[in-house]
Amino acid sequence: MQNNGHIGPCIFSAKDVEIQFNLRGKTLTAVRKASLDLYEGETLAIVGESGSGKSVFTKSFIGMLDKNGSVTGGSLSYRGEEISKYTTEKEWLHIRGKKIAMVFQDPMTSLNPVRTIGEQITEVITWHFGTPHAQAKQEAIELLRKVGIQDAETRYKQYPHEFSGGMRQRVVIATAIACRPEILICDEPTTALDVTVQAQILNLIRELQREMKMTVVYITHDLGVVANVADWVAVMYAGQIVEYGTVREIFSEAVHPYTKALLQSMPQLGVKGHDLYSIQGTPPNLFKEIQGDAFAPRNPDAMEIDFEEEPPMFQVSDTHFAKTWLMHPYADEHRQELEKRAAQQKEQQKPAQPFQYEGAEKLLEVKALTVKFKLGDREFKAVDNVSFDIFKGETLSLVGESGSGKTTIGRAILRIYNKVDGSILFKGEKINGKIDRKKAKDLHMQMQMIFQDPMASLNERAKVDYIISEGLYNYHLFDNKEDRLAKVEKIMGEVGLSSDFSSRFPHEFSGGQRQRIGIARSLVMNPDFVVADEPISALDVSIRAQVINLLNKMKRERSLTYLFIAHDLSVVRFISDRIAVINKGRIVELAECEELFRHPLHPYTKALLSAVPYPDPDVERSKQLISYDPSMHDYSVDKPVWTEILPGHFILANQQELDAYRQEL
Amino acid sequence: MENTEKNISLNPLKFRAKVFDQIASEDTGYSNYSYWRSTFRTFFKNKAVMVLVILIVAIIVMSFVYPIISDIDPNKVALKRKEWNQRPSWEHWFGTDTLGRDIWTRSWYGVRNSFLLAFCIALSDVGIGMIVGAIWGYNKKLDPIMIEIYNVITNIPSTVYLVLLAYIMNTSYLTLFISMASRGWIVEARFFRNRILSIRDSEYNMASRCLGTPMRRIATKNIIPHIISLIIMEAALCIPYSIGSEVFLGFVGVGLPVEAITLGNIVNQGRASFTLHPYQMLLPTIILCIITVAFYVIGNKFADASDPRNHV
Repeated sequence: MQNNGHIGPCIFSAKDVEIQFNLRGKTLTAVRKASLDLYEGETLAIVGESGSGKSVFTKSFIGMLDKNGSVTGGSLSYRGEEISKYTTEKEWLHIRGKKIAMVFQDPMTSLNPVRTIGEQITEVITWHFGTPHAQAKQEAIELLRKVGIQDAETRYKQYPHEFSGGMRQRVVIATAIACRPEILICDEPTTALDVTVQAQILNLIRELQREMKMTVVYITHDLGVVANVADWVAVMYAGQIVEYGTVREIFSEAVHPYTKALLQSMPQLGVKGHDLYSIQGTPPNLFKEIQGDAFAPRNPDAMEIDFEEEPPMFQVSDTHFAKTWLMHPYADEHRQELEKRAAQQKEQQKPAQPFQYEGAEKLLEVKALTVKFKLGDREFKAVDNVSFDIFKGETLSLVGESGSGKTTIGRAILRIYNKVDGSILFKGEKINGKIDRKKAKDLHMQMQMIFQDPMASLNERAKVDYIISEGLYNYHLFDNKEDRLAKVEKIMGEVGLSSDFSSRFPHEFSGGQRQRIGIARSLVMNPDFVVADEPISALDVSIRAQVINLLNKMKRERSLTYLFIAHDLSVVRFISDRIAVINKGRIVELAECEELFRHPLHPYTKALLSAVPYPDPDVERSKQLISYDPSMHDYSVDKPVWTEILPGHFILANQQELDAYRQEL
Repeated sequence: MENTEKNISLNPLKFRAKVFDQIASEDTGYSNYSYWRSTFRTFFKNKAVMVLVILIVAIIVMSFVYPIISDIDPNKVALKRKEWNQRPSWEHWFGTDTLGRDIWTRSWYGVRNSFLLAFCIALSDVGIGMIVGAIWGYNKKLDPIMIEIYNVITNIPSTVYLVLLAYIMNTSYLTLFISMASRGWIVEARFFRNRILSIRDSEYNMASRCLGTPMRRIATKNIIPHIISLIIMEAALCIPYSIGSEVFLGFVGVGLPVEAITLGNIVNQGRASFTLHPYQMLLPTIILCIITVAFYVIGNKFADASDPRNHV
């Protein structure tokens, strides 16, 4: 077999694998004849949205499918040995952990909370190799050092809860590499982690790979991560690998319409004030038999054949394969047409004018807001002395890592947490603390919230019709039933949902559709101000752009003001007028969007900006990480103050630091 | 990776652009999974459950229909000695007791009365428990007080408590009802409080609060539909427990007056002549066992079936 540009020998090969699950009496085909080869020492990234079968596919490599699923076709071979025939755990244990190891998404669930991390690693070593305990312990300490855990001897005796999320993921990696596996599969290894930690973990895996000459398979939905780590990329859609090639080929010469659309819909590539390129529709249902190209119904440029015949895998170049009819000679004409159109589109867009702050009216003022929570007997400040204003018609983004208090601020404004210090003024009136009932009710009509998790934020037992009209009921905003239904239908049309959906229950919708229902629910009463709490972070890449566009469209049409809470700086840059960076309950820097990206001053902002993944392999590989250490500030004598260092650019710093920042400018 | 292009004949005309259908792209055909349909399907999939449900329904229907269609007086005492303590026969299916009363007839009256009593107790326990539990779950300030009440009530051994109450008041259906119902609600209340606590702060409830939905509608639309299956399950489990308590109280002699026909009294009266005529106690006891075990199994299986994780 030809080597197609791979250097090492092929060690693992999956061919025409089909995996089916039995679910509620129906058969779900999660993987539909996917083939993949793994070569020694290479890094492969499998990209796809949830439900594309990427996790299931790789789990089948080590026989870890859930008990209602099985490999129903194709072959899996490891170094020539057929492993899909394995039935007993004993057989699998030759491979699992020893030859092929896996790192999972959530580090907390993959560690045993009641045993010290040292024991857990030692156990793996003695179990697989029969090494005496004392020696295994030495090896475990060595491993901990290797994955960058300082003071490994003392850390050895600690329990998982004594580690931070990033540290725990390091421990999980240490256990995974304890048996010196040849293949390391990382299933979304950094999705549960903050951006700054994510960058460190990726670096660690890369170093370990080089040192141990492992083959690493990343499973991810984040194209920035792919650009950073991968040599090879496989794009999965609806249980099939639709495109395969080197990282540069995928990012710059993508052929399959799905890959192209994914890349184009990245917010980094968007032009402010214009719609992002977005993929229409929702992912297909794998319970049904899929005819032709699975992506065709969502592809505006699909051809007739896409709906009828499944495309074969075409070879684009030595190393590049794509499963699309566009590569067929008959499709030349159509392809050239598309290329011409793409070239035309590229020219026209000009960024919109930035928001005019002169003469802008203050809608919301937050002054010295402090929110305290009780944890047992201890009290800690989730939000510490935060002040900012929001002007009518702007989008202010609050950016910070998990636990920074950004959601708490949003909830304090909406009076979900009412015991707060400081004051919040909406249209000049105080709205925190005790206010009269009628006023509180009126306030809820003007301020609304969009929630993060579309799965948790809709009432599963109510029909869409009720969910959307909930606000209308509360304020009696309709004359009769027809009027209410007309209102529901209108807003559903605005968020791009067919009005037939109104009699369905939420579980019949996909994540993106559910989020749009949530948006419709919040906007049906025509609020002035909306707190959007990470509205897209729980969504799949292919539908994020849809929701971002929808939020922007609603803002334009209804002259809304947004407080946008996010952790993803790339989205924030596209959507917001001003950005506030928040760290450990305090806003450290606040400036207009472009100003902040051009002149970040606070070291935390710099660290955050440097860690943002960018979907371009060349940019990603040359980037320098800046790390932030809070102990660099000496606030013992000279207390930090919230200062306007330039007009509109605020920073939290003490006098000495301010002088340094001024010089920098 | 390899090229899988095959030389099959294709129609070049098919390689033309197709008009994009916006509606079709949104059509996911996401499963038409319905919570209740799946719950019942999972529930009835189990053949044993099916049999038990049919059995229980048959017994209950029979116990209500029998007194209407039969003209045998369950309290009719036979004066002739010959008719006392008869063995089961075609004339008296379960035989007669020491006073010559037909045990078969008495059993059905007993099932009806015991079941009605148990049903009322289940209704009050789960009903009061749910309301108190909801208030308890929603009001953080109530928590310490309610916990204390719970501790006090549950820490008194239930038998002592039931015996005492039944002893103080005159024996009647109402007394028995009060003595049993005065205790069960707190256990149910705590159960519902825990459930409500876990869904109280979920995002969809927070969303309702942001929309200014009044408490009443949050309760009826957001909370109750989510715990209705638990309510059914708890009620189903309450019934065998109440029947059991009634029998126990009858057994220790503080149950209902002798003339009341309940399973407890029948079993208790049969006990007296157990050594000579074991069928007098055994046959009603078998019915009692069938009812309690069936309700217990049905309640538990329903709890399993109502958990979406078990929906297959």
